[in-house]
Amino acid sequence: MKEEIKIQIEKLMAKYPKKESAIMPALTLVQKANNNNLTKEHVEEIADLIGVSYSRAYGVATYYSMFNIDKSVGKYHLQVDTNIPATLMGAVKIFNHISTKLGIKHGETTPDGLFTLSHVECLASCGTCPVVQVNDKYYELMTIEKVDMLIDSLRKGIMPELPVEYNWGSKCNVLLKNMGVKDSTSIEVYKKNGGYQVLPKALKLKPEEVIAEVKNSMLRGRGGAGFPTGVKWGFIPKDNKKPVYLICNADEGEPGTFKDRQIMAYDPHLLIEGMAISAYALGCSLSFIYIRGEFSWIADILEKAIEEAKADGQLKNLDIIVHQGAGTYICGEETALIESIEGKRGLPRMKPPFPAVEGLYNCPTIVNNVESLASVPFIIDKGADAFKAWGSQGGYGFKLFGVSGAVKKPGVYECPMGISYKELIEMAGGYTGKIKGVIVGGLSVPILTPEELEKNGGLKMDYESCANFGTALGSGGVMVISDEFSIPEIAVRTIKFYNHESCGQCTPCRMGSGMIVHLLDNILKGKGEKGDIEKVLWLCDNIKGKTLCPTGEAYASPIKVMLTKFRKDFESLIK
Amino acid sequence: MENKISLTIDGKKIETVKGKTVLEVARENNFYIPTLCYHARTGKAGKCRACLVQVEGLMALKESCALPANDGMVINTNTPAILDLRKMIVEMHLSNGEHNCISCERNGNCELQDMAYHCGIERPHFPIEHATMALDESSEGIIRNPNKCIQCGRCVRACNHNVMHEVLDFGWRSGDMRVICDDDKPMGESSCVQCGECAQVCPVGALTFKNAKGIGQHWTLDKTKVICTYCGVGCSIDMYTKDNKYVYSLGTEENWEQQTNKGMLCVKGRFGFDFLNREDRLKTPLIRKNGKLEEASWDEALDLVASKFSDIKAKHGAGALGFFTSARVTNEENYSVMRFARGVVGTNNIDHCARL
Repeated sequence: MKEEIKIQIEKLMAKYPKKESAIMPALTLVQKANNNNLTKEHVEEIADLIGVSYSRAYGVATYYSMFNIDKSVGKYHLQVDTNIPATLMGAVKIFNHISTKLGIKHGETTPDGLFTLSHVECLASCGTCPVVQVNDKYYELMTIEKVDMLIDSLRKGIMPELPVEYNWGSKCNVLLKNMGVKDSTSIEVYKKNGGYQVLPKALKLKPEEVIAEVKNSMLRGRGGAGFPTGVKWGFIPKDNKKPVYLICNADEGEPGTFKDRQIMAYDPHLLIEGMAISAYALGCSLSFIYIRGEFSWIADILEKAIEEAKADGQLKNLDIIVHQGAGTYICGEETALIESIEGKRGLPRMKPPFPAVEGLYNCPTIVNNVESLASVPFIIDKGADAFKAWGSQGGYGFKLFGVSGAVKKPGVYECPMGISYKELIEMAGGYTGKIKGVIVGGLSVPILTPEELEKNGGLKMDYESCANFGTALGSGGVMVISDEFSIPEIAVRTIKFYNHESCGQCTPCRMGSGMIVHLLDNILKGKGEKGDIEKVLWLCDNIKGKTLCPTGEAYASPIKVMLTKFRKDFESLIK
Repeated sequence: MENKISLTIDGKKIETVKGKTVLEVARENNFYIPTLCYHARTGKAGKCRACLVQVEGLMALKESCALPANDGMVINTNTPAILDLRKMIVEMHLSNGEHNCISCERNGNCELQDMAYHCGIERPHFPIEHATMALDESSEGIIRNPNKCIQCGRCVRACNHNVMHEVLDFGWRSGDMRVICDDDKPMGESSCVQCGECAQVCPVGALTFKNAKGIGQHWTLDKTKVICTYCGVGCSIDMYTKDNKYVYSLGTEENWEQQTNKGMLCVKGRFGFDFLNREDRLKTPLIRKNGKLEEASWDEALDLVASKFSDIKAKHGAGALGFFTSARVTNEENYSVMRFARGVVGTNNIDHCARL
């Protein structure tokens, strides 16, 4: 390891309250400096430098899928997202085209060491799939022609610019206000459009007044679980004497969800202002943004914005550390995320204690989603009632919905809570083709059939209506599945994702996901036997609610519903 | 007494005191709750999900290993949902691993086997083909069989938090997850000091003692509680023997909190007793007679030493004698030797091997 890299790692160690937190950034740094590769020797050097055991460092390096430990990855790592939304939008064709063109399969490298091909899990690019991530860079809306152009250019050693146009729309004009505005990430533009005017207002209020306003707004966590944000804030012990940490959860990894990245990439200062207000309310002076590793280009935007905000005197009493993940769905779960910042394998913790009592570095910690925090400035500026003017009891305020799959204009749409599903789909340009089913809240929620969507006056996009329809609003990632795809095919890809992402610590989730993959894959391949469907259903019933974290339920429920609602499709595959 | 609480488990009212977990109370009262990851000395982990119980008034099942027992609680340990869950856990382990009990070292002393017995499962209903992983027999004392590992994490916890050697951890994730030594080295090439704590807490046959292999099933062994002779700490050892021959040692688990070693052992206490089975082991003092060492009684030996000491002291003075003591005896014994040297013999020539 070069001396300059060591100095950088030492700086990283000093940046965090505990030096062990530097393990992941150090691994990322060394991997970058070593042409995308990591060796055991690197891990040992990092462990020695940071002062942790080799087993801990190696355990971390092998846990996160973005660390290429002893894998020998080529100069250009072509990573094709083949998760459900991507598959619905033709990613498999793109993957197969690259595979044929380069003569390599998943995980293989061309003999010249130039290209490695991998299929990867959701890159949160669902509205602009198919997406190919080349090293750190996203190439979206790929076609066969564009892939050919890309590869030709890479052969010449040039990472080309292939700009794409995003579909988006807003009925509320809050979170997507600066979308499409030139230089929207700069502090000048943000301030010109009214930015950083709420923060001084908030600082004049008492912290408990800020908390009360957020509580009154009935804002519910936008990450997927929908827990009331203000209530969560209130869980910090009153007699607390330890530091309080605020963590912004920017791990956006729920397949079908690609909303938080729009805020961060186009309006980073909105998030920073929201965090500054929230941190003030919570009495927090050091906060974190945990951003998924694949978004390293967005992390750069955030870092720059934080610097700008500091230089402009906006963050007088707050520091924000941008901490990058490294390819793990489960780190979106708040306790796994906390473990990850602490420089450990991102494994969910047993609760209690809840993070608000004992979280990061054993201190009270609040973890909020990007969209939740970005909603705070509006609530403090205009008041809880103005927020509640949108939506109804089933869910208040504005919300970003990501629509992907078989629609004409897949993209992100900002709508009032409770907008009808029909209207949302109209915003997204309407369906393309005949619809087989729709997953409305990210991959972890049960699928609905087109007939179900029409019932009782039609589905509304809020917590209550979704629950009444037997599904959940989740993260608001709507995936429309056309009859081009079979449900058994979707079910197998779904469970493969969860099996890949299971942290592995608890038995039902680790082994259950593997066994369901095995059983469903056999059915799909025509090797299924009578009774296999019952076996999967038995597993789903027993996994649901019995795992250490919600991941078991996140696959047991949707898989069970696919099997029950589309049972005939599965049965027809069993001879 | 305000510390007294009463709770109901499976319809039976139980009086106990505050500060215990539901699992502890249940086990004290002979209710069966299996645990594969919880061990009294490695603590709760929440991984195996085998100890979940139903608490009346709560929707979700709760980990009894982590659940504080409170006054008025109503607990059920054998609802249909719990029994089904336990069955599933056994099915999963039997399907995914190679748990062939017949010639396993842990046959009759295996927590997974116990659980399978309670669930009435003989063979798994979900056979899954999987590649067999190689055994790690690289270390002096421990055989690692990853095919029998149930990823409970007891060994990792024990290595990092009990004995604090920080050799073991988990590597990879999901179905690929496995226990690693350092950065995935064979145990014999790693920084492992072979204290054997990992094998002691392992609930199954994934970590076993090499010296015990093939010598006898658990039920054919005798257990004797002894104090380790290697140093003055005085660790309690449960020594397992067969036909009066030493087989292996465990740190005493019973009342472990009261033992000086808290159930742990070092490499000497764990593996340093093979000499017990040697034919040429010293069993009596030896006295050299006509240039040849001959067996003698303790009285004979001590008389000889006493007379020699007296002779030397008479001829050359007490200063010609020196006393050299050992870390293998207790502080009290070392003190006695010091008193003997100064008070009885009259010399200050005293030293100790630990100063070397």
